Amino acid sequence: MNDMKAIVEGITRLKPIPKSLQQIMELAKDPDVGMDRLAEAVSQDPVLIANLLKDANSAYYGRSRKFETVNQAVVFLGTAEVFNLVLIAGCRDTLTAAQEGYDLSAGELWRYALSSALLAKAVAVKTNLADRQLVFTAGMVKDIGKLVLSQYVSEKYEEIRGLVDANGYSFREAEKAVLGIDHAELGAMVAQHWRFSPKMIEIIRHHHHPLQCESATFEAGAVYMGDLLCMMLGVGVGADGLSYRFEQQVIELLGLSDTDIQMLLVEFEMQKDRMEGLLEAGLPGSER
Amino acid sequence: MNIIVGVSDMKASNDPQGTLITYSLGSCIGIAIYDPLVKAGGLLHFMLPESSLDQNKAAVRPFMFANTGIPQLFKAVYALGGEKRRMRVIVVGGSQVLDQKGFFNIGRRNEMAVRKIFHRNNVMIDYQDTGGNSNRTIRLNIENGRTRIQVSGKGEITI
Repeated sequence: MNDMKAIVEGITRLKPIPKSLQQIMELAKDPDVGMDRLAEAVSQDPVLIANLLKDANSAYYGRSRKFETVNQAVVFLGTAEVFNLVLIAGCRDTLTAAQEGYDLSAGELWRYALSSALLAKAVAVKTNLADRQLVFTAGMVKDIGKLVLSQYVSEKYEEIRGLVDANGYSFREAEKAVLGIDHAELGAMVAQHWRFSPKMIEIIRHHHHPLQCESATFEAGAVYMGDLLCMMLGVGVGADGLSYRFEQQVIELLGLSDTDIQMLLVEFEMQKDRMEGLLEAGLPGSER
Repeated sequence: MNIIVGVSDMKASNDPQGTLITYSLGSCIGIAIYDPLVKAGGLLHFMLPESSLDQNKAAVRPFMFANTGIPQLFKAVYALGGEKRRMRVIVVGGSQVLDQKGFFNIGRRNEMAVRKIFHRNNVMIDYQDTGGNSNRTIRLNIENGRTRIQVSGKGEITI
């Protein structure tokens, strides 16, 4: 279990998310936060302003007139959407690096995070969940544990692969069996270290088995579905492939039909070209 | 030259310098067809089995579905001089998440849709690598028809 100690210590070596982003996530917990407070918080950080305006002016929103100030973006897009953009801008750098253990080249984890967050939000909209902000954010950061675990997965890859291929383990179960901890548990510890909300921490911990997430079962269910759909589409998927468990009860809990699921994939596909604008800045030399 | 085929996309080519590539097939299916005589091939990457789900979207994006994408794939290679009787056909993808059963198993349903369409049109599959829990990438070399299938975390085979 010496490994385990080293793994957990790895959390402190992670490049922390920007302080301004932490402050804004704190604001986002308040559903009634005013536009002024949001614009003010964003305006503290010049890098964030630049990234936010770049994203808001990307093809994703398809606007012919460009936003010139954070205030304009907040007024036009609304606070919820600007929170999402702040999150996208803040996470891009952290999540863009290659993750060798998962066979993810630079940009692929980021592509996966953004795609599965958008899919999770679409699930939340389809199932009328109130806290879409929580779902989107959790969808984006749920695999944060992979940043720390990747190196150890890489070292013990053959052993992990063996359990998946020969013994019917899911990739997460194999991580746990071989390394003593899996990327979801570790992700929850990172989230704790970064002082994320208790609900967010729980969703990250249970994103592969959302029925165990008691504090936010539906939201965790939406995050799980976003993850599942993303795996099926193969967007930014690595060595772990589709080796995670399918839980039909989650689909039943959310009340999704087969048609709903297929339409979520169709609708995601129809808006995918626009999404490239949000991805671009984080994809050095990607051939896709 | 790499010719990238995205999700819900199809490309055909007879450029001897060209390689058709589709990345990261999950439950989607990639179909590569190649006529060795005229050295022309095509690659389709479809996502779902049936366009009856949404006919309007299928009209805009026919390569999203098996039943609208497959006929167009063959027509595109016929247009380059290809003939069905000479066509080499490779089918890969259709993976599933563990325990994904029955109606929600879209990978399996995609594969069944391909079989149904091929059976009805007398198309034989020369090589098939479908199902399981891995991601696959497929590359078709137009000059010689050589096809490489890369399976995530496992390696690569050439056929």
